[in-house]
Amino acid sequence: MKIPHLTLLTLFLAALPALAQAPPIDPELAHRLETLTLELEKVKGQVTDLQRQKPAPSEGPSATVIGGYGEVNFKAFTQGDRSRNEADVRRFVLLVTHRFDDKTRLVTELEVEHAVSSAGDKGEVEVEQAYLEHQLNGSWGLRGGLFLVPAGLLNEHHEPTAFYGVERNFVETAIIPSTWREGGLQVYATFENGLTLQAGIATGFNLGKWDAASTEGREAPLASVHQELSIAKSHDGSYFGALNWRGMPGLLVGGSFFKGGASQAQAGIPAMTVSLWDLHARWTPGAWDLSALYTAGSISNTAAFNTTLVGQSTLVPQRFLGWYGQAAYHLWSSGSYALTPFVRFESFNTAASFASLGEGLTPAEAPNQGVWTVGANFNLAAQVVIKADLQRFHQERDQNRVNLGIGWSF
Amino acid sequence: MKALLPLFLIAAPLFGTDYLTAEEAARSMFPQADRFDATTAPGLPPSFRGKVLVARKGGLTLGHVVIDNVIGRTERITLAVGVGVDGAVRRVEILSYRESHGQEVRMPAWRRQFEGKTAAAPLKVGRDIAPISGATLSCNSVTEGVHRILGMLLEARRAGLL
Repeated sequence: MKIPHLTLLTLFLAALPALAQAPPIDPELAHRLETLTLELEKVKGQVTDLQRQKPAPSEGPSATVIGGYGEVNFKAFTQGDRSRNEADVRRFVLLVTHRFDDKTRLVTELEVEHAVSSAGDKGEVEVEQAYLEHQLNGSWGLRGGLFLVPAGLLNEHHEPTAFYGVERNFVETAIIPSTWREGGLQVYATFENGLTLQAGIATGFNLGKWDAASTEGREAPLASVHQELSIAKSHDGSYFGALNWRGMPGLLVGGSFFKGGASQAQAGIPAMTVSLWDLHARWTPGAWDLSALYTAGSISNTAAFNTTLVGQSTLVPQRFLGWYGQAAYHLWSSGSYALTPFVRFESFNTAASFASLGEGLTPAEAPNQGVWTVGANFNLAAQVVIKADLQRFHQERDQNRVNLGIGWSF
Repeated sequence: MKALLPLFLIAAPLFGTDYLTAEEAARSMFPQADRFDATTAPGLPPSFRGKVLVARKGGLTLGHVVIDNVIGRTERITLAVGVGVDGAVRRVEILSYRESHGQEVRMPAWRRQFEGKTAAAPLKVGRDIAPISGATLSCNSVTEGVHRILGMLLEARRAGLL
């Protein structure tokens, strides 16, 4: 026979007075109970603290660390053909870093662009970084493998939480071909006076990839002929260098150069050299975050090559350049939330001049493209950002658009 | 009761990209000290896994050096924070830095921003600590670490444990 719960409760309550009159507990037992209670509280506190802590990587000399970043973007054109509006998993990236010992580590980055990579989709799967790094001493180290070229402000720091705006700026996409990586050997050094030096030899561009029938080379000349260390032609080597100074807190001033052959000893392609350099600065006084960059590139001996392409839509430019100025202000923050509006103006020209092919044959230089971008980054956490911006183009007005995006990095 | 240990027992083992030992950092922060005692004061929070050295000259306490880890982007950064008996930062040193980028936090010019700061300071990047372009996460982590250590020492001092 079942006893109803209510009956049990009634019996328990009725017994309480009798329990209250029970003989006092042994003082020694009471002391032990109190000690146990205190110990239990202490352990509970420790468990809570441990749960709140960010998990630490292995404390041993070797460790494998997984990270990543990603961005999901939406753009809506405000003029022209609205069927171009699109939403996209722009990038989904996984990073695996393994520290072999106290001085040697492997850095890898695997990226999927546009969500799906298949015969019928535009997506790409890319190994964006795969290099070994060896620290020689407190200041100097070596990198070998596939690494990001130290150029501009964005190329080596391209996570969505590291820049303002839904999309990366045009200058560091169309002129400096971010994300720009090459295979080679790099030496780097960080000095206590604030100087950081990077220099090395690497693979370079392949003008055999130039597609004169498409507009790709007009949109981003170097991005259309980069090799990304995918069975990269390596007859012509390149060399590069970057010098940055951060000796005053909040200030970065630096520059970089890259130069290398791009014909790769291929038949029908004359010897040509690609050069690119930049100067950049970033200053963060108080709540302000100000930055500026100028970059210019050239390709030598293009006349001989372009002669073979006359009549097609996109010839190889002799010069291309761009600059931007950007101001952001940390307007508001509360806990992990932070709102940072920004404005950026950039001007760039992917075909600022062409080598002369003779009257009537030399293509006209392209006009400078100016773009205003106004928007805001809203951080949910330091490494999680919601972005919105408005872009207005001076020349190609039908490119005016509104962008929305989310991004993360860990 | 404070347990005192010889310094060699608590000196951090060298691994990662190590730049200074705890002992070297402590001696640079309190050059006038004639000894450094490790304390395991029971009042420190259970979550604190670092070490505290007491800089002494004779019977006089000159200050404390806290050795602790913070997480940068993905790896630990080991730092030493020297704090005088007035609660103000003497110096911050990076003992080990293990990540591929961001090691500019080691630069003296950046670390000097912490000198003289107390637990009452905002200690926030972008407010009273300028960031380093390209090393934002490391700057945030170190700054938060220093803030936490100053708060912990203040509480321990108020409780009469240091």
